Amino acid sequence: MRFSRKTLGIPYAVFLLLFVVAPLLVLFYYAFTNGKGEFTLQNLTDFFTDPNTLGTLAYSLAIAAVTTAVCLLIAYPVAYILATSKLKAKSVIIMIFVMPMWINFSLRITALKEILTLVEGNLARYPFLNSVIGMTYDFLPFMILPIYNTIVKLDGSLTEAARDLGANDRMAFLRVTLPLSLPGIISGISMVFLPAMTNYVVLDMLYNSTYIMGSLISSYFAAFNWHGGSMIALVLLGIICLFTLLSDSGDEKTARTGGALL
Amino acid sequence: MNMKRVFGIMLLAALLAGIAAPATVSAAKNEVVLRICNWEEYIDLGGWEDEEVIDLESGDIFGENSLVDDFAEWYEETYNIPVRVEYSTFGTNEDLYNMLTIGDVYDLVCPSEYMIMKLMSEDRVQPLSDSFFDENDENNYYIQGVSPYIRNIFETHDINGVTWDKVAAGYMWGVTGFVYNPEVVSEEDASTWKLMENPEYVRQITMKDNVRDSYFAAIGAMKSDLLVSEEFTGDENYAENLQNEMNDVTQETVDKAQDYLQRVKDNLYSFETDSGKADMITGKVVANYQWSGDAVYTMDQAEEDEYYLNFAIPQECTNIYFDGWIMLKSGIAEDARKQHAAEAFINFISRPDNVVRNMYYIGYTSTISGGDDGRVFEYLEWNYGAEDDEEETVEYPVSYFFSDDPEDENYVLTVPAEQLQRQLSAQYPSGEVIRRASIMVYFNEEQSEMINRMWIRVRCFNITSVPVWVWILITAVIAAGVICHFRRKAANDKLYS
Repeated sequence: MRFSRKTLGIPYAVFLLLFVVAPLLVLFYYAFTNGKGEFTLQNLTDFFTDPNTLGTLAYSLAIAAVTTAVCLLIAYPVAYILATSKLKAKSVIIMIFVMPMWINFSLRITALKEILTLVEGNLARYPFLNSVIGMTYDFLPFMILPIYNTIVKLDGSLTEAARDLGANDRMAFLRVTLPLSLPGIISGISMVFLPAMTNYVVLDMLYNSTYIMGSLISSYFAAFNWHGGSMIALVLLGIICLFTLLSDSGDEKTARTGGALL
Repeated sequence: MNMKRVFGIMLLAALLAGIAAPATVSAAKNEVVLRICNWEEYIDLGGWEDEEVIDLESGDIFGENSLVDDFAEWYEETYNIPVRVEYSTFGTNEDLYNMLTIGDVYDLVCPSEYMIMKLMSEDRVQPLSDSFFDENDENNYYIQGVSPYIRNIFETHDINGVTWDKVAAGYMWGVTGFVYNPEVVSEEDASTWKLMENPEYVRQITMKDNVRDSYFAAIGAMKSDLLVSEEFTGDENYAENLQNEMNDVTQETVDKAQDYLQRVKDNLYSFETDSGKADMITGKVVANYQWSGDAVYTMDQAEEDEYYLNFAIPQECTNIYFDGWIMLKSGIAEDARKQHAAEAFINFISRPDNVVRNMYYIGYTSTISGGDDGRVFEYLEWNYGAEDDEEETVEYPVSYFFSDDPEDENYVLTVPAEQLQRQLSAQYPSGEVIRRASIMVYFNEEQSEMINRMWIRVRCFNITSVPVWVWILITAVIAAGVICHFRRKAANDKLYS
C-alpha cells in the first residue's frame, strides 16, 4: 500500500465535509427558501428593511467595537512591555495571562458577576458597560497572544538602525515597531471583534436583555423561523468575509511598507 | 493503492460497522426499546441520602435508583417482557419541537399543554389505547389516581374535537406567581402583575425570558382594573370570560402589550432563562416571576440558608399550566408492544409512591391525587402538617384537587399559618386561587407569528432611539479615518515614485 502525504489529509477532509461544508449548504438552503421550500429573496430583503435586525446589528457592532478597542488598549502595552523586556520568565508571565482560558468560561463569568455586583451594587443598571467588561475579560488573551508573538519576533536591529539614523524613542516606535506589529494587531482584532458580535451568553449571564446577533438568531429559531434565522447567520458570515478580505489587503500593504523601511 | 480505494474501504468499513452494531444488540434479546424525551431534571434520579427517607405511616418511600431503571425492572417483572429505555431530555418546548422537526424520533414525550395542542393540531399524536382507561386493571395507576380536578380540565378542552384526555396523560401542573422577599416587598405589592412596573423596586425584579409568560403577565397588568372588578368576577360566565381576556391576541392588544413590556423592561432587573432562582436565593433581586414548581425549589433552597422567601399569586389571575405525556405517531409506528410499554411507563410513574418520589425530588406538583390510595395526601400531611406544639395553625382545604366533592372534609390540612405564603400555597394553590386560574390556549400560526414579532421588537435595540449627536460623532470618526487613509496613501506614493 502506497502511503502518500495526501492520505494524512483524509481525516481533516472528512471533518471539513461533514462539519463545515454540509452545514453551510444547509444554511444557504434555508436562507434562500421559504416555508414551502420555494426559492425566495424575501429573507434577505426582510433583513435590510426590518428596523429590529438593523438595530440589533448596530448594537452588536457597537458592543464589538468598544470591546475590541478596550482589548487593544490593554493588550498592546502589555504585549509590548513583555516582548521587549529582558525578563527571563517571559513565557511564565504570558502563561499567567492565558491561564484564565483554562477555566470553564461560564464559571469565570459567574465569578465576574459576583465581583461586579460587589462593585456596582446592582448589575442591571449598567448593561452595556457590563457586557463590554465581560467580553473584554473573555477575549483579552486572544488579543495579547498574537500581538506578543509578532513583536517578540521583530528584528531588534531595525529599531537600533532607526535610532542611529536619528529617531528618538517615540519616532522609532511609531515609524518602525508599530507598523511592523500591524499583522498581530489585525489578527487580534479579527479574533475579538467577530466573536464579540455574537457571544450572547455573556450578555445573558450579565443580565443585558437587549438582543445581539447571536440571541436574535436563537430567538428566530425558537419561533420556528429557520429561514429568517439562517439569513441573519448568512449576513453575519458575509460581514466576516468582508472583514477578512479587508484585513488581508491591509496585510499586503504593511508587508510592502515594512520592506521599504529596510 | 490509490486514494479512491483507500477512501472506499474506509467507507465500507464504516457502513458495515453501522449495520452490524444495532443488529447484534436487538437480535440478542427480544426486548422493547422505548425512546422517552422529558424535561431536564424532571424525574427522580434516585441516589437519596439515608436521612431523606419519607417515613409515612403506610410505609417508607425512598429513591434508591432512578425511576427510569425502576420502570425497566418493574415492567419485566410484571409483563415478562424485557424493555430498554432510551431516556433523553430537552430544554424548552420549542427545542423539543425543533428536534422533532429535524427528524429525531421519540415514542413518549412530555411537553407543556400548548405544545401538546400544537402537536395535536398537526396530527402527530398517537391516541391512548382503550385499555389505558380501564379502571379495573390494577396496573392502570394513572386512570385510578388522576385528580378529578385535572381530569375535568382534560375532558373539557379539545383540539379539532378531540379532547385532551384521549391523547395526553398529565404529569405535573402548576400556576405562575411571584417569589418575593417579604422583608422588602409587601404581600400587597407582590400580589399583582403590576409589581413589574412598580417604581419602588426598580431594577430588582426578574421576569421569565419567553414570549408566552411575558405576554400573559403583560395582559394581566394592563387589564388589572377590569380583572379585579366585582362586575367581572361576579359574572356567571367568569371562568370563560377570564380565559378569553387572557388569551386576547387582537392586534390592538398585542401592540399595547409591546408598549407595556418595552416600558417595564427598564424597570426590571432582567428577563432570565435560568438565573432567576439563584439570584433570588443570593438576594440579587427581591422578586422573581416564577412557575410554582420552581418557586417551591427556590424557597426550599433559601430555607437551607435560613433565608425565608414567600410566594404570591397575582390577584388578577394566574396562568395554570400542565406538562403531559403524549405518544408520537412517528415513534410508536403502530407497534402494539411499544405502545404498551409507553402506556405502562405513564402508569408506573403515576403509582402513588413514585409520584411522591418525583414531587419530593423536583418540587413540582403531580397531577395524581392517588384515588383510593391515600399516600399522596399522606405525603402532604407529612410535609406540611403542623407539629403538635405549633402555635398558629390554620385549616387548609385541598378537596378541589383530591375529591369529586369540593366541600369534602376528609381533605383538609392543618398547617402552620406561614404556609399560606410559602411552599404549600405554591404546590397546592387554594381553591380561591384556582377560581382565577386560566389556561393559555394554543395560538394558531398567524397569532403566534404576531406575538413572536412583538417579543423580538421588545428585545431588540431600537435604532431610532440613538441620539443625533451619536450619528454625527460616528460620521465624523469615519470621515477622519478615510481622510487619514488617503493622505497617508498619497505620502507613500510620493515616497516610492
